[in-house]
Amino acid sequence: MVVSLRSWLANEGGKHFVLMLWLGANTWLFLKTFLLYFTGQQYHYLYKMLGLGLCISRASASVLNLNCSLVLLPMCRSLLTFVRGTHTVSSRETRRLLDKSKTFHVACGVSICIFSVVHVSAHLVNVVNFSGRYSEDFPALNLARYKGEVRHRFTLPTFSGLTGVLLVLILFLMFTSSSYCVRLSNYEIFWYTHNLFIVFYIILMVHMVGGALKYQTNIEAHPPGCLRANQSSTEQQGEELEQGEDEERRCGEEAHFLPHYPQTWLWVSGPLCLYCAERFYRYIRSSDPVTIVTVIRHPCDVIELRMLKKNFKARPGQYVVLNCPGVSSFENHPFTLTTCPTENKETFGIHLRVVGDWTERFTQLLLPEPRMDMEILPMVQQRRYPKLYIDGPFGSPSEEVFNYDVSVCVAGGIGVTPFACVLHALLDGWTGFRLQRLYFVWVCRELQSFYWFAELLCALHHKLWQENRPDYFNLKLYVSQTDNMQVGVTHSQTHISLAVYDRERTRVGVFCCGPKGISRTLHKLCNSSRSSGTTFEFNKESFS
Amino acid sequence: MGKIEWAMWANEQALASGLILLTGGIVGVAGQFRGWQFAAYAIVAGVFVCLLEYPRSKRAKGTSVERTGQYCFTVCVKSFGPLTRNYYVRGSLHAAICVPGGFMLSTVLGCVCLGISSIIYFVAAIRGEHWEPILPRKEISREVQDTVKNPPQNPPPRPPPETRRKRVDDLEEAAYDNPIPVSE
Repeated sequence: MVVSLRSWLANEGGKHFVLMLWLGANTWLFLKTFLLYFTGQQYHYLYKMLGLGLCISRASASVLNLNCSLVLLPMCRSLLTFVRGTHTVSSRETRRLLDKSKTFHVACGVSICIFSVVHVSAHLVNVVNFSGRYSEDFPALNLARYKGEVRHRFTLPTFSGLTGVLLVLILFLMFTSSSYCVRLSNYEIFWYTHNLFIVFYIILMVHMVGGALKYQTNIEAHPPGCLRANQSSTEQQGEELEQGEDEERRCGEEAHFLPHYPQTWLWVSGPLCLYCAERFYRYIRSSDPVTIVTVIRHPCDVIELRMLKKNFKARPGQYVVLNCPGVSSFENHPFTLTTCPTENKETFGIHLRVVGDWTERFTQLLLPEPRMDMEILPMVQQRRYPKLYIDGPFGSPSEEVFNYDVSVCVAGGIGVTPFACVLHALLDGWTGFRLQRLYFVWVCRELQSFYWFAELLCALHHKLWQENRPDYFNLKLYVSQTDNMQVGVTHSQTHISLAVYDRERTRVGVFCCGPKGISRTLHKLCNSSRSSGTTFEFNKESFS
Repeated sequence: MGKIEWAMWANEQALASGLILLTGGIVGVAGQFRGWQFAAYAIVAGVFVCLLEYPRSKRAKGTSVERTGQYCFTVCVKSFGPLTRNYYVRGSLHAAICVPGGFMLSTVLGCVCLGISSIIYFVAAIRGEHWEPILPRKEISREVQDTVKNPPQNPPPRPPPETRRKRVDDLEEAAYDNPIPVSE
C-alpha cells in the first residue's frame, strides 16, 4: 500500500508536530544550560576544575526537570476527560491528540531514564575530577578533602550523593516493572511500583540541598582569570606588559562561592499538585458505592452488569474503572460502558468478559452457583451483591463517532462495547447528531457472541427502517476461524471502499477496537492513497 | 489477589541490572578510574548476566511473549538443565556476581540493582516457580479427516418434476413476495 501524503498528514501530522515541539524544547534547554556552564563567568573556576562533565551533568539535569514535570500531565485523566468534553474549547484535532496521552507519558518516562544515565555518568566523571584536580587556590570549591581522596568516601556520604542513589534505585524499580510483558501478566507489580513516584518526587525536590556545585558571587570585584596578589603575569610577557595593565588585572578581592538553591521544585510542584488534586478528586468521587440492579449472563463468558449511582453522567464511548473490595482491595479494572444513563433511564451498564482471575472471582460473587438441594424447593434467594466502587467516567477516542458525517466502526470480539453504547444512544434519538451514516463491522470468533447485542442491533435496524432512513446504519457481521482474524481485515477493506462512495464527504472517521492485527492493517489502509478526495481519520481504542 | 509471577519481574530487573553494570564498567575502564579492574570485571559480569537473562521463561498460565531473537539464547540456557531451571541457583548466582561491583563507585549502582533482582528471584523460588523454555510449537498437521464415511447413495427427496418446472405460461401464479427483503 502506497502511503498518501494527505492521508498521512491527516492521521499522523498532529502527533508528529507535538513530538517535534517536545524534542525541540528538550534540545533548546539542553543547549542553553550547556552553554551557560561552558561560557558563564560565574562558573569559570568550576569549569576549569571539572571540564565538560560539569556542563553535561547540569544540562541533563535541566532536561530531567522539564520531563519530570511533563510526565505527570498526561496522567490527569479527569482533567483530560473534561477538556475532551468541552467542544467549544478544543477542536477535533486537539481531541485526537488527547488519544495519545499515554504515549506521551511513556516518551517522557523513557527520556527521564536516558538522561538519568547521562546525568549519573557525567557526575561520575565530575567526581574523578573533584578528586584528581583538587584546587589549592580555591578551597571552597572542592568537594574532596584532599587531592586524590578515594571517590566514594566523599560522594556517597553527601546528601546529594545519597539522594541520587535512592532516586536511581526507585527509577530502576519503576522502569523495570513497566514493560509490556509485566503489565500484561502482573498488573499489580506495575501499579504498586509506579506509585513510588511520590517518594521519587519528594527526594528529587531536595536532591540539590547541600549543593556540591558552587557558583561565584562576586564577578565584578573578582573577574575570573584575574591575577591574584601573589601571582604575576606569565614570564614571557613579564617585561612588555605595562604596569597599568598589570594593576587592572589584579583581583579586587578573593573569590566567593555559594551553592545553588534547589530549583527542581519550581518545575515540578505545579504538575505534582495538579496530579495529587486529581487523585484526591477521583477518590472522593468514587467513595460512594454503586447499587447493582441486574446481572445477566450471556454466552461465551460474558456478564452484563446494570448499575445505579447518584449524579453519574457519562457520554457514549467512555469507560469506568471498577473496584470490588470483596475480590481485591487494591485492584482496579477498566471497562467500557455499554449503556449510558439518560434522562429516562438512570441505570448504566457494562459488559465484561470473564478472562482472568479477578473477573472469575467477581462473577462468582455476583452469580453464585446454585446448590443442588435448592433446586427441589423454589426459594426466593435474597441476592446479596458485593460492594462495588466506580471511578470515572473517563474519555476515549470512541466519543468522536458522532462528530463525523460518516463513520466506520470496526470491532473485534468484546471490543464492540464502546460501539454498543453508541448504538444505544442512536436508538434513543438518532436525529440530534452530526452523524449521517454509520458503517459497522463486527468480527467474532464464535457465532453465539453476536447474542450479546443481537436485540440492540435488531431494534436499531428496525427503528431506522420504520423512520425511513434505511441507509443510516450498515451492518456487517463476520465470524472468524480461531487463527484467522484476517477475515475482519479484508472485509473492513470492502467497507472503506464503500465509504468512499460518499463522494461529497471529505473526512470519514474510522474507529477500531479489537486485536492488534486488525488495527494495524486498518491504520495502514487509512494512510494509503485513495483516488477520491476523502481522508480517513484513524482512531484506535485500547486499554493495555 | 491472584498468583503473581515474581520471576517475570525479576527477569526484567536482572536484564536491566546487567546493562547498568555493563555501562558502569565501560565508564570505569574508559575513564581509567582507580580500581579499573573491578570495572573490567563488571563489563564481563554484565554481559554474562544479559545473556543469561535474555530468554524469557514460559508463563505458567497465559500467553508468553518472547523477546526478539531469543530462540538461540533459549537453547543455550536450556542446555544447562537444572542449573538454569532452578531459581535458587539463579538468585545465589546473581548475589555472588554483584558483590565485586560494590567496590567501585561507577559499578555500585549495578551491584545494588542486581542484588534487588536476586532477592526477587529468591522470592520466586520460594513460591515454587522455575524457568521453562519457550519452544516453537510443532505444527500439528491437520489431516483432512474422513468425516464423510458413507456418502449418501440416493438423491434427496424432491417433489415430482411437474411442480418443479418453471411455469412460464402462468406467471401470475408463479410470482411470490420475498419474505425477507433482498439487499446488496
